[in-house]
Amino acid sequence: MLTLEGVHAGYTAIPVLNGVSIRVDEGQFVAIVGPNGAGKTTIFRTISGTLRPFAGRITFDGQDLAAVRPDRRPHLGIAHVPEGRQVFASLTVFENLEMGAYTEAGRRAWKENLEAILGWFPVLAERRNQLAGTLSGGEQQMLAIGRGLASSPRLLMLDEPSMGLSPAIADLIFEKLLEIRKHSRLTILLVEQRVAEALESADRGYVLEAGRVVLEGPNSALRADDRVRQAYLGM
Amino acid sequence: MSAQLIENMLQALVAGLLVGAIYGLMCVGLALIFGIMRVINFAQGDFMMLGMYAAFYLVLGLATQLGLTGGITPYIGILLTGPFLFVVGYAIHGFLISQVSGTRSARLEGEGHYAQLILTLGIALVIQNGALIAFGSQLISIRTPLSASAWTIPLLDGDVMLFVNKARGVAALISVATIVALTVLIGRSRLGKALRASADNPDAATFMGIDVARAHRVAFGLGVAVTAIAGGLLATNLPFHPFVGIDYVIVMYAGVVLGGMGSIGGAFWGGMTIGLVQQLSTLILPTQLQNTAIFVVFLLIVFFRPQGFFGRVAERT
Repeated sequence: MLTLEGVHAGYTAIPVLNGVSIRVDEGQFVAIVGPNGAGKTTIFRTISGTLRPFAGRITFDGQDLAAVRPDRRPHLGIAHVPEGRQVFASLTVFENLEMGAYTEAGRRAWKENLEAILGWFPVLAERRNQLAGTLSGGEQQMLAIGRGLASSPRLLMLDEPSMGLSPAIADLIFEKLLEIRKHSRLTILLVEQRVAEALESADRGYVLEAGRVVLEGPNSALRADDRVRQAYLGM
Repeated sequence: MSAQLIENMLQALVAGLLVGAIYGLMCVGLALIFGIMRVINFAQGDFMMLGMYAAFYLVLGLATQLGLTGGITPYIGILLTGPFLFVVGYAIHGFLISQVSGTRSARLEGEGHYAQLILTLGIALVIQNGALIAFGSQLISIRTPLSASAWTIPLLDGDVMLFVNKARGVAALISVATIVALTVLIGRSRLGKALRASADNPDAATFMGIDVARAHRVAFGLGVAVTAIAGGLLATNLPFHPFVGIDYVIVMYAGVVLGGMGSIGGAFWGGMTIGLVQQLSTLILPTQLQNTAIFVVFLLIVFFRPQGFFGRVAERT
């Protein structure tokens, strides 16, 4: 469904990604893990188009994304739940969800999606008329995920959904993700620093270090890998 | 209290409300650009001046080309100024202002505000002098059949007579109607929400599939159009010239700040406050001190309520 081939990207003269290749198949849950600064967020920005790669190819459903403007990519079915949540602080919770449904597909399925989202995150229904900027971090993350789901995506990209949250809330978010996935068979691409949880939930994983994929495979293989166990799982 | 004094006070109050409604509309236009989109636009007064001339020639055109001279014709001409100046604002944003605002502002010093200040000041000078060349320097105003007539309202058993100029009354009503329409557009419509989302967080708006650059152009065009309509309404009882904008751009910024940044309704009440202070001050102060009164009140309000009437302290987190 989504492939990255030899992607090089970065910011003015500072390369961050040095030839990253990643594959996400329909219906899969893929996790990209790695330390801070490995380039995880940069991968997402090249996929959603807010950063143009220096070299390499990104395709979605066989279509080269280089020819698709960033604001058209969500309409193809790519939902990006950004790092640090980035909810629309001055809009209400409900308006945030409506903006999620800006895509054609999201508008058509608005009623069912809304019902499902509020079912998964009942707190959003309670706070529907509150400004999103007044929500707690955990609630904002739920809203950011709900907003992503409201677009009726085929691929949901989640950038560090546990960032800045207490372990209990982060666990809750992971549980919800698994629940959402079970019900919708959504394809999910997750970037995460909490390696143990990420690898536990995912089907396949990539370990990213200094802008390169150093390891990849099914989650069982990664979790059994000595390097991963030592460096990330503390075993 | 003598009947004369009461009459003077009521007359000033009514004058304040009527002119305040138009100032309110003017401020709402800038509120879209400065309060919501966070673009400093010093050419806003000059866009208003362009609106005045556009309204003048549209009204003239309607009268001479189509033979429309009825009481409401001038107002049709003035409302037509809206779409006209929308295109002007949309284009100027697309060519020039987008270079220093929106998604580009993150890379500029001071969020692009310095560059916006210089650029829009330049645009203002070009518009002013262009208008001087094109329209000349003589004072003109939009004549309406209503300007010379008034509604007379007897109060206190006829001891007090209140005069409401019909042209000003209709202008105030159109102002309020325009603001209501705009509030619904920005608050409830899909377009309005997309504009607010694009202003709030351009990156996240792109992730929603919103064409952020276009949203910013539309918002700028709308802001210019709204202020231009206010200019046209003002021109029905105020003579104008190519340099009239500078007098009003200050009033507009004061109104937006008074109302609270980011609030459309607030900007209206900010403009209304300025209109009221301006007119009521004439009761006790010489007319030349009108603007001084405005800024004394402005400073007092900002001192005691820095976030403005409707500003939200925790608006941006």
